[in-house]
Amino acid sequence: MSNWFGQVLDRADSVNDWLSPKRQSSLALLKERQWPTRKTEDWKYTPLHALDTFESGLPAANEAAPSEFIADLAIAGLDSIDLIFVDGVLQSAAVLDELPEGLSIYSLPDLPEGKQSDVLGDFAAIKPERHLFGLINDVLATQGLVIEVAAGATILQPIRIVSAINNSTEAHTRLQVKLGESSSLAVIEQYVGNDACFNTGVAEYDVADNAQLEHYRFALQTSAAMVVGGSHFKLGNRSRLNSTVVGFGSQLSRVDVDVHHAGEYAEAKLNAIYLLDNNELFDLHSTIEHAVPHCITEENVRGIVADKARAVFNGRIHIHRDAQKTLAELNNRNLLMSNEAEVNTKPELEIYADDVRCAHGATVAEIDKSGLYYLQSRGISRAQAQVMLSFGFINELVDQMPNQILAEWLRPQLRERFANMDVK
Amino acid sequence: MTEEINQALKREYEAGFVSDIQSDTFEPGLNEDVIRRISAIKNEPEWMLEWRLQAFRIWQEMEEPEWAHVSYPKIDFQEISYYSAPKSMADKPKSLDEVDPELLATYDKLGIPLVEQQMLAGVAVDAVFDSVSVVTTFREKLAEAGVIFCPISEAVHEYPELVKKYLGTVVPQRDNYYAALNSAVFTDGSFVYIPKGTRCPMELSTYFRINEQNTGQFERTLIVADEGSHVSYLEGCTAPQRDENQLHAAVVELVALDDAEIKYSTVQNWYPGDEEGKGGIYNFVTKRGVCHTSAKISWTQVETGSAVTWKYPSCILRGDNSIGEFYSVALTRGMQQADTGTKMIHLGKNTRSTIISKGISAGHSNNSYRGLVRMGPRAEGARNFTQCDSLLIGDQCGAHTFPYVESKNASAIVEHEATTSKVSDDQMFLCQQRGLDPEKAVSMIVNGFCKEVFKELPMEFAVEAGKLLEISLEGSVG
Repeated sequence: MSNWFGQVLDRADSVNDWLSPKRQSSLALLKERQWPTRKTEDWKYTPLHALDTFESGLPAANEAAPSEFIADLAIAGLDSIDLIFVDGVLQSAAVLDELPEGLSIYSLPDLPEGKQSDVLGDFAAIKPERHLFGLINDVLATQGLVIEVAAGATILQPIRIVSAINNSTEAHTRLQVKLGESSSLAVIEQYVGNDACFNTGVAEYDVADNAQLEHYRFALQTSAAMVVGGSHFKLGNRSRLNSTVVGFGSQLSRVDVDVHHAGEYAEAKLNAIYLLDNNELFDLHSTIEHAVPHCITEENVRGIVADKARAVFNGRIHIHRDAQKTLAELNNRNLLMSNEAEVNTKPELEIYADDVRCAHGATVAEIDKSGLYYLQSRGISRAQAQVMLSFGFINELVDQMPNQILAEWLRPQLRERFANMDVK
Repeated sequence: MTEEINQALKREYEAGFVSDIQSDTFEPGLNEDVIRRISAIKNEPEWMLEWRLQAFRIWQEMEEPEWAHVSYPKIDFQEISYYSAPKSMADKPKSLDEVDPELLATYDKLGIPLVEQQMLAGVAVDAVFDSVSVVTTFREKLAEAGVIFCPISEAVHEYPELVKKYLGTVVPQRDNYYAALNSAVFTDGSFVYIPKGTRCPMELSTYFRINEQNTGQFERTLIVADEGSHVSYLEGCTAPQRDENQLHAAVVELVALDDAEIKYSTVQNWYPGDEEGKGGIYNFVTKRGVCHTSAKISWTQVETGSAVTWKYPSCILRGDNSIGEFYSVALTRGMQQADTGTKMIHLGKNTRSTIISKGISAGHSNNSYRGLVRMGPRAEGARNFTQCDSLLIGDQCGAHTFPYVESKNASAIVEHEATTSKVSDDQMFLCQQRGLDPEKAVSMIVNGFCKEVFKELPMEFAVEAGKLLEISLEGSVG
């Protein structure tokens, strides 16, 4: 067991607020939990030994972050409602006073008392219990947001939530998002941090009937950063989810995505991209639960793994007994750029209904040699050809992002990463 | 439609009879004394006993694996009898004529060509009844070619240096829980050695049968194909119908030296238990082969029996340019559970592997494919292709796929694809509209679904496998 985990258990007891009843039940689960080892299926390829030596640092006291630090977090050209946490503290809460009609956002500690029992009921209700860092976030996250969209409201501006670490070493933020019937919303979760940070970010999305959610999760930290957590969705009748996860990998980088199809005729489209270099690790675990008939899931995960990096993907699709007429497809494609890099992928199907169409596929290979040869024969250098081909491989998914301003912001970062990748 | 199929599925287990044969059976229980007794009965040399005891000590420290997607009550290893032999074996038959006629009748019922038929079939048979090898046919003819095919208990005496050299090299004692148990208590099995450059003149075959109540069967098969040789080996299994669950924990080790080729085919039809899931065999088997340079190992299996199956025939592609293949049809019905698949470990350069797995689930059964494809850092230019298809018949069954892909070499290419579907209404309509009744139609569709695997089986076995599938899904599928 890691030192830090021991401290978490101690610290959790001292957290005392209106969420305490839920925190206590998560804490009870945590106390029974074994610290994962290589034999723990969920962590088979992702060692947690970085946490053995991790020095816990509680978030600094309420202290405004330097304005240049916050300015750096902006996304050019994006008209969004920005909510920025630095070291776990919400900066410039003024934005909460001028929200568009139909949208309400509360900071977790300041939630009006009248709302508390509702939120308490939703807290940790969508996120499955099995996620270790989900439980840790349950007990430690004192900061976060409750976001509600009224029925029928269409919120045009995306909400961008940044959890950044500047001075402290760890941050645990929480999002509880609820979309009313026939509403529509876009949420961008962004995790930013320094070299030695540890960030758990958990978001739960309750998408009511006919509602539409556009979702992004960016974890672009590299090197020694540790960023874990997950985004968890519950979809009502005829609702739609479009989610994009982008990760660069770091010392420890893990995302758990869960989609629970609770209403019929719902559609989920999930895309994920990872680009890994150096010694980095990125681990994506996705689970799609089809509990009712007539739902659709389409999941595309692509990654490029260079140098000594390691990618882990586990994509599970579970079709329950009643979920007839389900269409579910999952595809994971990987490019390996070096012989020291490693990809461990496991697409899983668990099917208990007969009238369904399910398929999954996984490939691991290097860049197409004939493609490289073709470009080189046209006078393009090998290195450049490699960047072109691998960028094209990833760009297919970037092109599918509904928000092209975000895509424009992302592309140069991807390109820079390709250019720096060690080409063999 | 589903109702008709379910009715048809409730067929009887044809190999479920019990043979009334006098036998010597150990009291249930497992300790070092039992192992010493087994070893003493087999008159084994000291090193063999030591090896068993070592395995037993390892086993005691191990924990039962629980990761498979199956559930069954915990096995009490002290309630199993670890040795049972037909009494008439006390003075071993010298030839077929001396074998207990009751025993021969049993094999006859099972359709094993023990006597003349095998002349025609050209199949050499080693039949293992409960714990001992009853008779091995065609030994002389094989000996002419230099091929050794005998019970492993004899091989320990007659070819100790070969057995010592290879036993436990592919599946070591501590490999897994059931392999350790097998290493400690294995009672018999087949040993095959094909000398350099020899093509085995006939198909070799083993037939396993568990007859006694409360016994476990722990056979161990070791096949060594020396450089440039070739052998095709067939294995079949049955057991009587009993209410208790019986354990079958076998180990099969294959060694294919440079340029050798081993083709190993299994038709597994252990008693699957009744409709409520009462009784049946727990089939927990470890099968693995090692391929040296340019060698090839091909596993083909047709799994229709057993209450619970836990089986992953694997290939370690150690030598450059070696090839591993796995073709499987697994059919589950009633309350059967199967967790089966393969492991392809690519270590050498330009190694290739193909995995074709067809799972068919019906009734209340659960059928899982679990596979691992690992590309080692030195596996330059290695290639794998995996395809797992599942077919669901009825809405109470489950089909699952758990493929692990681990790649550590950029130039290696791994492809995995899996699909799940049911016998579609369109297909059924088309066939019926051409005048086929629904049962025939399902039968055609399922046969077509399995064709890729059946074509890999040796001819006699392909016929048996086809028949087995037909009986298993009698009247509606197959």
